[in-house]
Amino acid sequence: MPPELKFTSANFQTEVIGSDVPVMVDFWASWCLPCKAIEPILSELAEDYKGKVKIGKINVDQNRKIASQCGIQGLPTFILFSSGRVIDRRTGSQSKSQLKEMLNRVS
Amino acid sequence: MSAYSMHNQDKTCWNCPAIDLAGMVDFRACGQSLQISKARSDDSDTYILARCKRNPGLGVYDPTTITFAECPEWIERPYGYLLRDMRVMILGIDGYLGWTLALWLGNLGIKVSGIDNYNRRNWVKERGAHTVVPISRMSERLHAATSVLGIDINFREIDIMDRARLAEFIDEVKPEAIVHYAECPSAPYSMIDAEHAILVQENNVLGTLGLLFIMRDLVPETSLIKLGTMGEYGTPLTGRPIFEGIFPADAILKWDNREWSLGGELTPRDPVSFYHVSKVQDTFNVYESCKYWWLRSYDVMQGVIYGIHTDQVAADERLRTRFDIDEWFGTVINRFVAQAVIGFPLSIYGAGEQLRGFIALEDAMQCMVRLIASPPDPGQYGVVNQMSGYCSIRSLAETVAEIGSQEFGLTVRIQRVENPRVEADIHPFEPIYDNLPKEFAFQPKVSPEMEIYRMFELLTQPSIKQRIEEKKHLILPRTWWSGQKKPVETLEVIDEVEYAPRAKVYLS
Ligand SMILES: NC(=O)c1ccc[n+]([C@@H]2O[C@H](COP(=O)([O-])OP(=O)(O)OC[C@H]3O[C@@H](n4cnc5c(N)ncnc54)[C@H](O)[C@@H]3O)[C@@H](O)[C@H]2O)c1
Repeated sequence: MPPELKFTSANFQTEVIGSDVPVMVDFWASWCLPCKAIEPILSELAEDYKGKVKIGKINVDQNRKIASQCGIQGLPTFILFSSGRVIDRRTGSQSKSQLKEMLNRVS
Repeated sequence: MSAYSMHNQDKTCWNCPAIDLAGMVDFRACGQSLQISKARSDDSDTYILARCKRNPGLGVYDPTTITFAECPEWIERPYGYLLRDMRVMILGIDGYLGWTLALWLGNLGIKVSGIDNYNRRNWVKERGAHTVVPISRMSERLHAATSVLGIDINFREIDIMDRARLAEFIDEVKPEAIVHYAECPSAPYSMIDAEHAILVQENNVLGTLGLLFIMRDLVPETSLIKLGTMGEYGTPLTGRPIFEGIFPADAILKWDNREWSLGGELTPRDPVSFYHVSKVQDTFNVYESCKYWWLRSYDVMQGVIYGIHTDQVAADERLRTRFDIDEWFGTVINRFVAQAVIGFPLSIYGAGEQLRGFIALEDAMQCMVRLIASPPDPGQYGVVNQMSGYCSIRSLAETVAEIGSQEFGLTVRIQRVENPRVEADIHPFEPIYDNLPKEFAFQPKVSPEMEIYRMFELLTQPSIKQRIEEKKHLILPRTWWSGQKKPVETLEVIDEVEYAPRAKVYLS
């Protein structure tokens, strides 16, 4: 498993918005059961898409401003960024193939 | 100390019960509440901060920055880092598991407190039964714990339904973890009649609900380790795996050419008695409290416990834990051993092909410490299926018969009797029980053979054998799920095994 990539308010601008490769961000919280359940699948995908798409997560409780700027209304929310633009976003638990469908839009 | 046992080394103050959360502590940083907090303040990027109750000198800081491995308050112990002098309260401390856990935790240096109102002693007395391993009065138990083991337990006689007194005690002790055993644990007892069903559901469901409100108001950072049972799930005839309470994300629902991940949804429950229904109701109440108030809880779906041994309860007669064999309060393996000791045929209900999960007493204690050591995240409702293996009731009877015959020279017979319960006698069963080994580094240490051997050693002592004989008329069930009260008929005598005694192998 690759090391888990964590985004925060401090690195969001450089790691996500300014990233050279597309980025998929998982907005999550510790009280959100679907967010916990999806962790192993995200690790698998991070490995599968290594070099093509960066996959990481951001805790909304600890990073309110980003959550607010991204208009997070429900969890988990997955947002796919490319060159700082939002390419796709989905809210609610996703299957692996649904997440792949998202990722394949940019890889 | 191997790194393997330090399953909790990377947890941080975020999980620690010894902090007060500060800053903008509204965990619902999404949806409506985010809009509200945005409207309230321009600087909506206020982090959730922490203050350490044990080291106020740290000031206000980011709770995700200090790990248990780095914190001087978390010290290396056999089952992971533990808070120094951690305060753990056991509800139902006079019970089979509660008393055993109190001594187990005390032995690890944990500051143990607990409550009980002796419901269990009274329920057993009401049925005309008794614990075959004699147990002392609480005052004597407490005295022996101090004098023999040097463990001081802060006990108070309180009914969990008495919220005012329970709140007062919790406020006084400020426990850092609460283990909640204080329920009626019997399926047949809940099926006797309306009065008993209502008593069990009231005691279990409302007792737990009240506790949740007390925790919200007084100790929201404390983790709740709540006892459920594998019986909450039943044995779904679809044969689908029995997940640990919650579907994993790769469980897919396909319908109408579409698919959905079920990840994070509670799995269906199919309880098998009114007692089990009370546990399912508890599950939802605990789950909701985590959701509404960010309480933190592990719901422990416990398999059937068997055995009598831990080093602490075996240290002195006055420290022994209870052991019941009657139709209401005896659990299956414990009953089989007692039956074998007095030459009563081991009675299997129905086909005997029912598959159940089991775990030895000592292993169950190990699991509890590991859960206490690794508290859930704020708001996390976690579930573990607590068992070390599973097998059919018939094969358990055969194991007991074999050890009784071969090691103790007993003549052991096995019989099938009518099944008074409503349950599938033959069914698929695929329980998943990965969380404890994977997340908490639990490894079972006790084989069924070893614990059954120890049970025989204790129960064959003449005074205990005598106590089994005295209550032998309460072994065969008369409580039918249909409501009838009649003895079950023998369907078949399966086996007659008589082995010559041979060398002891099980403890070597
Ligand atoms: N023993 C098992 O095989 C097993 C299996 C699965 C789940 N469980 C669960 O584990 C828990 C403990 O089981 P146990 O075998 O130790 O049972 P137990 O009956 O020996 O222990 C429960 C204790 O709680 C106390 N209690 C009950 N109602 C109370 C109240 N209103 N106020 C204060 N105290 C009260 C009882 O007096 C008793 O001492 C139970 O919740 C049970 O459902 C047990």
